[in-house]
Amino acid sequence: MGSVKGCRWKILVAVKQVSSLEEDFEIRADGRDVEPDFLVRDLNEWDEYSLEEAVKIKEAGAEVEVVAVSVGPEVADEALRKCLAKGADRAIRVWEDAVAGSDSIAVARIVAAVARREKADLVFAGVQSSDHSFASTGTAIAGFLDWPHAAVVNQLAYVQGATRAEVRRELEGGVLQLMEVDCPAVFTIQLGINAPRYASLRSIKQAAAKPIETLCLGDIGLSSADAGEAGSLSRVRRMYVSAKGRAQMIDGTPAEQAARLAAIIKKFTGAGA
Amino acid sequence: MIDSQSITRTLFEDFRPLAVTLFYGAGIAATGIFLWGIWIQVRKYRRGARYVLDGSLAARFGDMVGSVLSHRTVRRRDHAVGAAHGLVFFGFALLFVGTSTITLEFDVLKPLFGVRFWYGNFYLWFSLVLDVAGVMLTVGLLYMMYRRGWLKPPKLDYARPDRSPTDPDFDRSAYRIEDWTFLWTLMVIGVTGFVLEAARLVWLAARPEVWNFRWWSPAGAVVACGLRSLGVSATAAGQLRTGLWWFHGVLALAFIALIPFTKVKHIFTASASLMLRDPLASQRLPRVPDSQAAPGYQYITDLNWKQLLNLDACTKCGRCHDACPARATGAPLSPRDVILSLREFANKSLASGTLPDKAELDIHGKNAGQVAMETLWSCRTCMACVEICPVAVEHVPIIVQMRRKLVESGDMDPLLTKTLQTIHKTGNSFGESRRKRPAWTKSLPFTIKDARKEPVDVLWFVGDYASFDPRNQKVSQTFATLLRDAGVDFGLLYEAESNAGNDVRRVGEEGLYEVLADSNVKAMSEATFKSVVTTDPHSYNTIRNEYPDFGGRYEIEHYTTLLRVLLAAGRLKPSRPLNYRVTFHDPCHLGRFNKGYEAPREILKLLGCELIEMGRCRANSFCCGAGGGRIWVADPVGVEKPAQNRIREAAAIEGLQVYVVSCPKDLTMFEDALKTTGNEGRFVVRELIELVHEAVAVPADAAVAGA
Repeated sequence: MGSVKGCRWKILVAVKQVSSLEEDFEIRADGRDVEPDFLVRDLNEWDEYSLEEAVKIKEAGAEVEVVAVSVGPEVADEALRKCLAKGADRAIRVWEDAVAGSDSIAVARIVAAVARREKADLVFAGVQSSDHSFASTGTAIAGFLDWPHAAVVNQLAYVQGATRAEVRRELEGGVLQLMEVDCPAVFTIQLGINAPRYASLRSIKQAAAKPIETLCLGDIGLSSADAGEAGSLSRVRRMYVSAKGRAQMIDGTPAEQAARLAAIIKKFTGAGA
Repeated sequence: MIDSQSITRTLFEDFRPLAVTLFYGAGIAATGIFLWGIWIQVRKYRRGARYVLDGSLAARFGDMVGSVLSHRTVRRRDHAVGAAHGLVFFGFALLFVGTSTITLEFDVLKPLFGVRFWYGNFYLWFSLVLDVAGVMLTVGLLYMMYRRGWLKPPKLDYARPDRSPTDPDFDRSAYRIEDWTFLWTLMVIGVTGFVLEAARLVWLAARPEVWNFRWWSPAGAVVACGLRSLGVSATAAGQLRTGLWWFHGVLALAFIALIPFTKVKHIFTASASLMLRDPLASQRLPRVPDSQAAPGYQYITDLNWKQLLNLDACTKCGRCHDACPARATGAPLSPRDVILSLREFANKSLASGTLPDKAELDIHGKNAGQVAMETLWSCRTCMACVEICPVAVEHVPIIVQMRRKLVESGDMDPLLTKTLQTIHKTGNSFGESRRKRPAWTKSLPFTIKDARKEPVDVLWFVGDYASFDPRNQKVSQTFATLLRDAGVDFGLLYEAESNAGNDVRRVGEEGLYEVLADSNVKAMSEATFKSVVTTDPHSYNTIRNEYPDFGGRYEIEHYTTLLRVLLAAGRLKPSRPLNYRVTFHDPCHLGRFNKGYEAPREILKLLGCELIEMGRCRANSFCCGAGGGRIWVADPVGVEKPAQNRIREAAAIEGLQVYVVSCPKDLTMFEDALKTTGNEGRFVVRELIELVHEAVAVPADAAVAGA
């Protein structure tokens, strides 16, 4: 492994393999997550944009290396391969059993440790993940690194080696904010900042041949106390589906529907009278 | 009595030896330039990628000769042009053979062996035949001139739909000059030939062996009489003969010399192209070889030598331009322009002794000779262009190969990107979970066999649209009912079926196509069945023609042939004639791609429908606009869509009741077009399956018992 020959600038892109639910699904026996069989996995949508933004800087510069990092078990390799297919130079996955149960802050601690090890010059993350939606990993990474950050960036002007980046942030009510941020820095990237490229199946297959570096906590100077439930300040207690609403479709001919509707109204108003 | 030996034409009569030498010099020079020109062209073709011909060369040659002699391809959809071209072709060919015959005697047989045959009766018949050939040539050319100058068919307007009027190559006016020069050169050669013949007759009128036999060259004799009535003397005619002889001779030699450099080369390139024709060019697209570094065509040298030759075969006749549904609805695509652009590019970049830098060989872009991505993405891969091309140019594979490059670099509509990602993720273009593929079967009162679990006679490959689109799901349920009623032992692949990949491949995403094809071939290999039936012509095409390359060889049919058999065998019995006045839309992938024209028509007849054909039917069927992945991309707003164009064509049929389709995508496209063209209520769009079901209202008793 090691960095691409001659690369002096490095952008670390934190990515996540997110899960979405199939039409029908079941909650896990312990009641704290969805049964994994019912999950469809993919690269987090926001991360497609942050990776694209990094690759664009790489393509405009001469000596930029883009490193995709994910914290997760082996299934997360699929997301990393997609990053490799879309232009990341290397991919790193951090995992060991002790990492299970980490909250977003603990994950940020791990990514920050990787950023230190890699001597990254910039760190990109998505604004949020589509499954858990904490929107906190990116900013927490900045906290652990003690770097400046800008969240919800929807325009970024940065050239390789610059000491400052100009960013535009998206605020409520259509208000935009232009900022200068001293680098190194962490940016969380908003959807729509660019048009993520298509990773053809051919490039995905070629990426499958590239190695993914897997690290454990010890490799990045952390211990099991820094991750998992031990390293987290929050824990999931229960996951459940809210009770179904009482809405009901009324079938039949228009006349039948009207009669049924009238009966219901009478029942309720009658009860109230 | 005149000695038959003297009934001939003395070559170079009254020429000084120097003049003869000069003429031979000119002849050799012309031949040299001709051969050099051929070398330039051959060198150009050799710079293309490898291509291996299959089949016997002799059979290919035989087919080509058949096509050329019968003018089969030139006559199609334009009989007058076919006839005129035939006159020019056969006239020219006879004149060429005649001149070669003279050379054979004068320069070979006589000097080497003292053999002569060009005199007496042979000479007289020879004169007559060549005079007739000259008249044929002239008449053919006159019609071509009349057509270009007065009839001006729109397809001969070279103005480009993919360029704006300010672009230098917008109207391709250089081609028009070339066209007219070609016609006039041949015309002048032909006419001066007759005048020359006449001048000789007048000049030598005193010789009975010449003048007495003048009517054996009737056209020349008529002109000769004209010259004499104008008072042209023998001496003056002799001078005229000398002058014209040189003019005619030099012009003819120049014509020969320039053949490889002008449109005249189609004599050779069109014949060669016909000989190299791949009858499955669009139906079975090529795989990307493992050795290839990047998929698709980016540089002109990525085209194979056969395709480079195809480019040179194009005569700009405009048949593809006329047939193209994208062009007809204002898209920036004319198949002819794609071919001409690439040809101009090849001629510019591959003509010199050394190859230019890679960067100068890039065929993608908006410069002269390049093809814009908007143009490539406008194509519906409906094969109308390939099907009608009289000289076997195969446009679709070139367009798809160029799209492969665009897909690899991500230059495509965001909607298309999204769809491809969806298909990769879920195996269908609707983004539904795999589990939901057989959901349409749940409302049936019977269970369809799972071909993965129990053997069946017929495996039904349903396809995406028929599985997920609510309107088409009803058709699928109807078809299942028909099969059950007819006692067919059939089953499905259920969740194991994936998008067949036909359109994914035609978009140019070859990697994804391989995944889909492999997945379906694997699923089918795990099921037990005798044959496959599909309700989807797109799936039908790729399974039939392309899956064999992936190890999947099946006996497969479209549902129309199966239903025809069931109806003919009485396993489905129409209880009453439907008596509808209908028209039938040939789906591209069933009709043009796989020649399935008859079965649906026979079914309509068996159902007692009155079929009124649209003007564009069978091989000339007009694409609904959904092919080549275009169903996943929005068409421009405010412009007529191909499906609307088609529905308007059908709407012109007096008293039309049902517009019959036999493809799920057609049902979607045309029901939409029926509404958007304001024809809703005037007639309906229905699947042929629905008509069969309506006719077979009461299921046959035997079938119920068997079910």
